[in-house]
Amino acid sequence: MRIEKCYFCSTNVYPGHGTMFVRNDAKCFRFCSSKCHKNFKMKRNPRKVRWTKAFRRANGKEMVVDSVFEFEKRRNVPVRYDRELVATTLKAMERVAEIRSKREKAFWKNRMSGNAAKNARDAALSIEKHIELVQPRSSTKSSLSTSTIEEKEKIREKIKVRAAGKKAMALQQLKSANQSKRSNKQSRLIPAEGGGMGMSLD
Amino acid sequence: MGRLRRSRTHHARRDVHRLARTRVRVKDLDQIEMDLRPGNRAKLERQEIDEDKPGLGQHYCVECAKYYETDLALRNHAKSKVHKRRLKELKEPAYTLTEAEKAAGLGQDNTQRGVEDVVKKFEGMSNAQEEEKKVI
Repeated sequence: MRIEKCYFCSTNVYPGHGTMFVRNDAKCFRFCSSKCHKNFKMKRNPRKVRWTKAFRRANGKEMVVDSVFEFEKRRNVPVRYDRELVATTLKAMERVAEIRSKREKAFWKNRMSGNAAKNARDAALSIEKHIELVQPRSSTKSSLSTSTIEEKEKIREKIKVRAAGKKAMALQQLKSANQSKRSNKQSRLIPAEGGGMGMSLD
Repeated sequence: MGRLRRSRTHHARRDVHRLARTRVRVKDLDQIEMDLRPGNRAKLERQEIDEDKPGLGQHYCVECAKYYETDLALRNHAKSKVHKRRLKELKEPAYTLTEAEKAAGLGQDNTQRGVEDVVKKFEGMSNAQEEEKKVI
């Protein structure tokens, strides 16, 4: 018995679940849910639908090239049962899954690395744009005494200056990040940890 | 993310469900990709006269997998937006099940794994049996 993959979104389809469509040239299409089946019937291209694995892989959202993908395979040639082989395979599965999750996490971190500066810039920009909405905190001393319009203006000016400084910093960071990205644009990969692709058991 | 559903998207297609029936299913892009191979294409473009097909099956657009009544209709179709859109879709390789599996991190392996090992073990077993016989 096999755990198949959904044709549309590439999730697991366990035995007894999902739908199968057999085209008139005897090709089988398995679907995890009616959602995927309907999308298939609409002749949508999974590469262009954002929630599918195919899209995420085609657009650099997920790790694509790595040695951990060398293990899980659809094997169409049967192998004679061997107790030792099964034991080592089970052991390897655990370890590979562990390594894979680690690498995926590292990939995600790397992908998101530019966002802190971007978010800081956006926050600063929105303060700059909507400065009239900024209200001084009611618990501060100035507002407790006499919250005149002039004082409010003063505080706003202060906030504005601080935001401008933050924006400048963020922009600088973005600039340097872009430059470094341009220099090594070819590889979106993270180098394997521990120096090498070998994965020793235990 | 995503766009809110707009109004006026039905374009006189009243019966979407009826059009989605398996009975009216048209060829998929991967099938058309096969049709576009030189040998297949020539065969499809020069079909025998078939009374059941539109235009006796003489005016066929391979890319769109569609029969036309007349040569003029076929030529007009070749100039149309629908046809050009299809050409664009066919530029990149069609999506297949193997790609879906690859996206899930599942490769394919059709090699005879460990045949040598199996053969060795088998030979070892038979040797041992012979030795046992000798001993007896």
